[in-house]
Amino acid sequence: MGKADADETELVQLLVAGDRPAFERIYRKHNAALIRVATGIVASRATAEEVAQDTWIAVLKNVASFEGRSSLAGWIFSILINKARSRAAREGRFVSFDGEGEDDNLAAAFDGRGRWKDMPDLWEEVTPERILAGRSVMDHVAAAIETLPAAQRSVIILRAQQGLEAEEVCEILGISEGNMRVLLHRARLAIRTALDGLM
Amino acid sequence: MLSCKEVATRASALIDGELSTWEALQIRLHLAMCKGCDRFVGQIRTTRDLTETIAAPEPLDEADNGRISAILSQLDEGKQQGG
Repeated sequence: MGKADADETELVQLLVAGDRPAFERIYRKHNAALIRVATGIVASRATAEEVAQDTWIAVLKNVASFEGRSSLAGWIFSILINKARSRAAREGRFVSFDGEGEDDNLAAAFDGRGRWKDMPDLWEEVTPERILAGRSVMDHVAAAIETLPAAQRSVIILRAQQGLEAEEVCEILGISEGNMRVLLHRARLAIRTALDGLM
Repeated sequence: MLSCKEVATRASALIDGELSTWEALQIRLHLAMCKGCDRFVGQIRTTRDLTETIAAPEPLDEADNGRISAILSQLDEGKQQGG
């Protein structure tokens, strides 16, 4: 058993025992991301916060039956996605994660022969701390992620930020690995375009 | 030879190491000759690195503590009703 697995097993045991500091630790680690993913699925931020809260209640109620077939984070996010989708359905919203009908925003950048119409700029020293238009680059990245469609937003948060395995992300969202890669690429394109506009 | 559009479509797959050796080689040849694509792939790499840079979780504020207490008390109520 690796150290991460051992840490997770210990954390699960503490959660089963009702240990508040252990819950605070995992809440702090994932709650903001839970809300960000849910916000892409349900109608409002307030509803997303409720869905996240319901998710935590379900997590604590059922953690004793967590079998470790996925990571703990993957299990938590799968509960969130199910709850958010049910809530969206009650609101009359249908959210698909297959990304169909979403174009990437780059098609217009090329001429008929597939060459750049305008050469991309050279980005110099784009570090997380750099200030652009009065805000840090990381604030701009976060803002760009907030504007992504649900599927792209979920993939970039789960895969790139929460570090879930590709297989787990696909299972949670019910998409193929090829589809996940397309969504990840489109998400990066949209964030890149947002940053490029600030340079 | 690949077009710039085809290279741009494969930029994430290239930097994530998901292309075959042959596909990656074709793109690297293109990048050696095309400044625009070379810059674009650099931008996508920077974007990937930034999106994977996770800010440390913020400390719990009063509202979070209230929500945590609400979650835990809802669980306690459930247990009492169930038991």
